Amino acid sequence: MFVKSAILGCLLSTVLVGSATAENWPGWRGPDRNGVSTESELPTEWSETVGIRWKTAVPGSGISNPIVWDDRVIVTASDGVQQADLHVICYAADDGRELWHQRLWGTAPTRYHANKSSMASPAAVTDGHHVFAFFGTGDVFCTDMEGQLQWQRSLANEYGQFENRFAASSSPLLHQDTVIVQCDHYGDSYVIALDQETGANRWKHDRPEAWLSWASPQLIPVGNGQSELIVSGSHKVDAFDPVTGEQLWTVTGMSRECIPTPVFGDGSLYVVSGPKSPTMAIRPGGRGDVTETHVRWRNTRGAPFVPSAILVGNRYYLVDDAGIATCLNTADGKRVWQKRLSGAFTASPIAGDQKVYFTNERGETTVIAATQRGYKRLALNSVGEPVFASPAISQGCIYMRTNRHLICIDGRSDDDQ
Amino acid sequence: MTGRRVVPWIAAVLFFAGPFQATADEIDTRLQTIAACGLGGQGSAAAKQAARALSDAGIEVLPRLLEAMDTDNILAANWYRTVFEKVTRQELKKTSPQFPVQLLRDYVRDTGHQGRSRRLVLGLLDRLDAEFRESFIATQIADAEFRNDAIAALLKQGDEFHEAGKTDEAAQAYEMAFRAARESGLIQTTAAKLKAIGREVSIIEHMGLVIDWHVLGPFDAPGKSGFDTSFPPEETVDLQATYPGQSGREISWKRFRTTDKLGSVNLVTAIAPVEEAVGYAYTEIFSPRDQDVQLRCGADDNLSVWVNGEKVFARRQWLNGTRLDRFTAPVHLKSGKNSVLVKICQGPQHKNPAVGNNWSMQLRFCDKDGASAGTRSALPVESEANAEK
Repeated sequence: MFVKSAILGCLLSTVLVGSATAENWPGWRGPDRNGVSTESELPTEWSETVGIRWKTAVPGSGISNPIVWDDRVIVTASDGVQQADLHVICYAADDGRELWHQRLWGTAPTRYHANKSSMASPAAVTDGHHVFAFFGTGDVFCTDMEGQLQWQRSLANEYGQFENRFAASSSPLLHQDTVIVQCDHYGDSYVIALDQETGANRWKHDRPEAWLSWASPQLIPVGNGQSELIVSGSHKVDAFDPVTGEQLWTVTGMSRECIPTPVFGDGSLYVVSGPKSPTMAIRPGGRGDVTETHVRWRNTRGAPFVPSAILVGNRYYLVDDAGIATCLNTADGKRVWQKRLSGAFTASPIAGDQKVYFTNERGETTVIAATQRGYKRLALNSVGEPVFASPAISQGCIYMRTNRHLICIDGRSDDDQ
Repeated sequence: MTGRRVVPWIAAVLFFAGPFQATADEIDTRLQTIAACGLGGQGSAAAKQAARALSDAGIEVLPRLLEAMDTDNILAANWYRTVFEKVTRQELKKTSPQFPVQLLRDYVRDTGHQGRSRRLVLGLLDRLDAEFRESFIATQIADAEFRNDAIAALLKQGDEFHEAGKTDEAAQAYEMAFRAARESGLIQTTAAKLKAIGREVSIIEHMGLVIDWHVLGPFDAPGKSGFDTSFPPEETVDLQATYPGQSGREISWKRFRTTDKLGSVNLVTAIAPVEEAVGYAYTEIFSPRDQDVQLRCGADDNLSVWVNGEKVFARRQWLNGTRLDRFTAPVHLKSGKNSVLVKICQGPQHKNPAVGNNWSMQLRFCDKDGASAGTRSALPVESEANAEK
């Protein structure tokens, strides 16, 4: 019996993985925190009933994107009085059954947007050994892959309750053996690096100049195995040494309140903070204020307030909150095309298999070809439920979190199964 | 915990602990290990081991666990919760679960326990005694943890009366809900329902918001120097005096009563649209008794507050915004007249001219749950002409 199950499991894994290019989606916007998957043969068409491998109810609310590691899909959620009841839930990637569910209390819930946020807006992040979940209540939890609590930090108790009108949404990132969290709010803002094993502080950089922001930090390679930590918010983009927390350089010109996460590619950092501030391409490096010397180009059109942008090859795609999609040439920031998509947008686009997926708040996904020229729509698909969370890609599937369900989309019709 | 409920608790503890005396000591030791976890992730490793051992012990840990959950240490509470979830889940899987149901009911009813723990146990009781919740909630209008649930039930009842054309009954339910409501959203919702059936209530009085002031300004305060610069009202409040203000203007106190529904005082209107300045607001209030109360306040850019000449609150932070109840400070009010002086700083205009330079404040006196402390204005009755237009 065991042998049979093992063989079946192996076969199923092979089917799920599909090809050697299968990869995990370990945190906010995937492996490189840019929304891009290297997988191929990704779904193009689906509907409420076709191309859905499984669909399972998710308790509470949350716009944190699902994260995927091997055979597990993990989401965070919150509910209860002031959304202070917190959930970390793990589902089986193959059929959506619940594997474990850790329930915890949050320290200090804040105000939140009725539809677009809750205490579970930040995506969790995993290294395959542990899951690190940060919530708008000012709490960080570490569990193992079975959901057993390992350590917790109440940043709200230690450094002041978050003051936030839409709840914190910055997703933590992992660097070496630390987990890094950006805490920009009306009160005392800071960026903090915690030891992954114990939760203890490695460093904390206070940001007295910072106002409320919801952007997630980014990590970019700068050669010799070194990285820089990128933090946007309060009219600027700051770079830090992720090992020490030392501030390195700054570019000004962003919005006061930043939401999109910067992305990196081809030696440049691409930042955006709409609706009125410019999209910029920045050459990393230097010290101090490098605005005059390191900004390669600016483009003031089509900047989103909420959705992050996406970089595929030498094309930079943005969709603003009202659905105006723009494609820029990364070489000079010039517009390649602009098109109105259906619906309003909160979720950030994802890409893979030479396709870009834009999912609107009605749960409709416009799939376009990631071509050098022109706008080419491949499909318009709907899951029939509101979507505010950014989707995830892993093992040939798209994992979409609606306001009630987690859906695994494989794009296969019944005939393909 | 009330005395009459101690007996079943002791009985339950003895019942579970009796045959397992050694285990009971271990349970206490492990609960204490968890209680010791603290800031900076300290004690996590020991707490993890203790939680695992407690979970393995099964349902017999429940009485002691529930007592341990009466803690303000959210970290310890979460470790306890992981144990609670595990042992109750294991017990529920059994064909004949052995839960101390009466003890659980008593725990939920006892307002001496932590609200979050009571609510957690109520969730368990939903699976063990499906009738309990509705009858329990209906009685909890004065219970800080379940008050809003009881209010929601009353509003639903009021809506049903209203739809059935029973206006008096609807008004009775809404008024009971309004008297019990402590959160601004629920207060406003309930007031709106009453207004819709022709019954007016005062949100300002209900929340203890202070709306009647004398205001003075702007004093010149270059950059962000205002917070540390003392101007004459901090020495003596003389409502008849005049002072040199910003840009050489002579300034004097003037009466200002806000008409904002939540008592926000817009100083741009009350004083002037200025930058790099300081303004003051002064009032006198009657307290019906000697009492310790909460001062709840907020301001843009920042504020300092004196009550009866004593500075009771100050916050330097400049990146601010006026939000209801943003700051809280303990204050003593004496019976009769009390003076309140507020200093509100206005910083420089942001370098981006599109960023508005707001200047405002909001302040109230209430008990720890947010109910009005019963204060009222002690300023001489003023004419409607003084009210904000």
